[in-house]
Amino acid sequence: MLSGLADLGHAYLGFLNVTSILYGLGGALLGIIVGCLPGLSATLCIALLTTLTIKLPANDAILILICSYVGTLYGGSRTAILLNIPGTAANAASCADGYALAQRGEAGRAIGIATSGAFMGTLFGVLCLAAFTPTLAEVALSFGAYEFFWLALFGVTMSGTIVGNDPLKGWLMGTLGLFVAQIGQEGLYAYNRFTFDWDQLSGGISLIPALVGAFGFAEVLTTLADPVEKKLIELKDSVLPRFREVVQYWPTVLRSGVIGVLTGLMPGVGEDSGAWMSYAAAKAASKEKELFGKGSIDGLMAAETGDMASIPGHIIPALALGIPGSAPSAVLMAAMIIHGIQPGPMMMIAHPHFVYEVVAMTSLATLSILIFGLFFVKPLLLVLRIKRTVLMPIIFLLCTVGAFASASRLFDIYCMLAIGIGAFFLRRRGYQMAPFVLGLVLGPLLDKSLRRGLVLSDGDIAPFFTRPISMAFAAVTIFTLLLYVPQFKAAVRRVTGGFGKIVRSAFGRHPRSGDAT
Amino acid sequence: MEHDATAPVSDEERKVLARSELHQAIGWIALGLAVFVGSWRMDRLESQNINPYTVPGLLPGLLGIAMMLLGSLLGLRSWRRGALASRTHGFAFDGAAVRRVALIIGLCVTFGVVLVGHGLPFWLAAALFVSVAIVVLQRPQRIAAGETLGLRRLAIAAIIGLGAGGIITLVFQQVFLVRLP
Repeated sequence: MLSGLADLGHAYLGFLNVTSILYGLGGALLGIIVGCLPGLSATLCIALLTTLTIKLPANDAILILICSYVGTLYGGSRTAILLNIPGTAANAASCADGYALAQRGEAGRAIGIATSGAFMGTLFGVLCLAAFTPTLAEVALSFGAYEFFWLALFGVTMSGTIVGNDPLKGWLMGTLGLFVAQIGQEGLYAYNRFTFDWDQLSGGISLIPALVGAFGFAEVLTTLADPVEKKLIELKDSVLPRFREVVQYWPTVLRSGVIGVLTGLMPGVGEDSGAWMSYAAAKAASKEKELFGKGSIDGLMAAETGDMASIPGHIIPALALGIPGSAPSAVLMAAMIIHGIQPGPMMMIAHPHFVYEVVAMTSLATLSILIFGLFFVKPLLLVLRIKRTVLMPIIFLLCTVGAFASASRLFDIYCMLAIGIGAFFLRRRGYQMAPFVLGLVLGPLLDKSLRRGLVLSDGDIAPFFTRPISMAFAAVTIFTLLLYVPQFKAAVRRVTGGFGKIVRSAFGRHPRSGDAT
Repeated sequence: MEHDATAPVSDEERKVLARSELHQAIGWIALGLAVFVGSWRMDRLESQNINPYTVPGLLPGLLGIAMMLLGSLLGLRSWRRGALASRTHGFAFDGAAVRRVALIIGLCVTFGVVLVGHGLPFWLAAALFVSVAIVVLQRPQRIAAGETLGLRRLAIAAIIGLGAGGIITLVFQQVFLVRLP
């Protein structure tokens, strides 16, 4: 406990220098600019900055990436408020109330609330990151091949279930991601799988070009395919953060912080889930339900606190288990690996100080967005006035550089193009990219764990189901899949409905007629 | 089966969507089958005396089966939603939108496959791409506004292209020492 606090103190001191602060502010600023631009995601921002910072020392590079991650999600709220278009998917929940406030001439107030909610949410998440990552990493040290097999499968299944509104399409994308990860030389015998004697494919499909394609090039195509430019609402009132409202709505802030971190812990679920779940919880608990969607402070605060708290939440499993919580944290994880830090259970042994350094980096990111929220709101909005027909070709240029730079292979540019075009058409048919990305990240782990597990058990599949942690993961995964079967879902509803009745009667709450359904 | 939250309003549109999903299901099943056959025919490395539970095609084969199963479920769902009852063969395409998407993809693929990495300096390839893309993408707006492509607009596009190409090359290659194609 005390050594952990000492490590944390050292980590904070390590970043108290001009270079680190400038890198942090620069990363957050770039993130906010990217977040402001509709269609450009945190994943793209981190992927591009990974290639830009490839020659920097590991800590500086990761600092820039984390600050840009936090900055992008914060910046996205401005577009949601002023244009009614979420800057990133995570800001969609802020659109209704933020835009309604802006239409009433209170755009500055809405931005101020978004800033204070974002600051509090990230701060709460940072505390959880510091408290839970080392503990989770210690638990994960007892994981073997069987547990990692189920953990990988659980991640892809959950991601497919929660992201989007069609679990079947989510699982198909997860399976596709897992398959694409099998292309190239496999890890045990260096055998070339599905390469068709093409040398370039032996190295497999790299994560960064795939992500730049799926989240960058596909977004460029989506944005340019829609020729309508939206009108920006003018800022007339003060944009200063409203901490008085944080005090007034403290139950919302605390509840949304907890929900944000918890959704962050689920693999591949994404920041938007944190925002929507916090928003729904705030609406359920609010005394002013009728204001939701019409300019509710409570709703905007909940959405912004929830999505920002999920960022540290996503980093926790990425660091402790090597299982990213979202697509941006998958790129962050890839960047850590590029810089020689392997996230996962062994990280607390190989790099024991790194978790605390990440905590310090996220804290610096939190302060950076507060500074930009205080002083640079109006100048940063100039970026929203750039025409999409000018901006998008430049973004595509950056996508090309981003795909090429990590390995200097032209083949990676071709992969980026192919995956981007595929992603564009798949998204139009309701397929989400997050399960695909998670499949791509977890594919090698799934393959290695399955084969290792079978060797250890001499072909017996029983240990995959009988070891306690494996059993729990297997049960949740199979249960999630079975929920898609209508008869099973109806049976579960009957059981949970009956259980709910017992709980309500035990606590003396008598349901009104009709509640039982 | 659960209903899609983005289900269209009319019954005929729902059937068209179901028909489109039936085509997708056939695609997924075909891909799953191809993956499974590829995995089955994959070398089992018996000559190397490897443990039979570690054959390289094990997981890809299972993924192929999973893809076929999920694809079949998608097909079954689309059939239950009236895919075969639809009178049309799919969505009616908006010709202008298709041309716009084809144009954008064509521009990007030309840059990524032809212009980059084949001897042309990156800054020049980038400048050419950005300038042409701006001129071409702004054409519908110019036509709608009744404007013509004057020398001034061409010059602005060229300046933006040269600026973007130059700055990106300078920042990545000179400041952050990243190799460019």
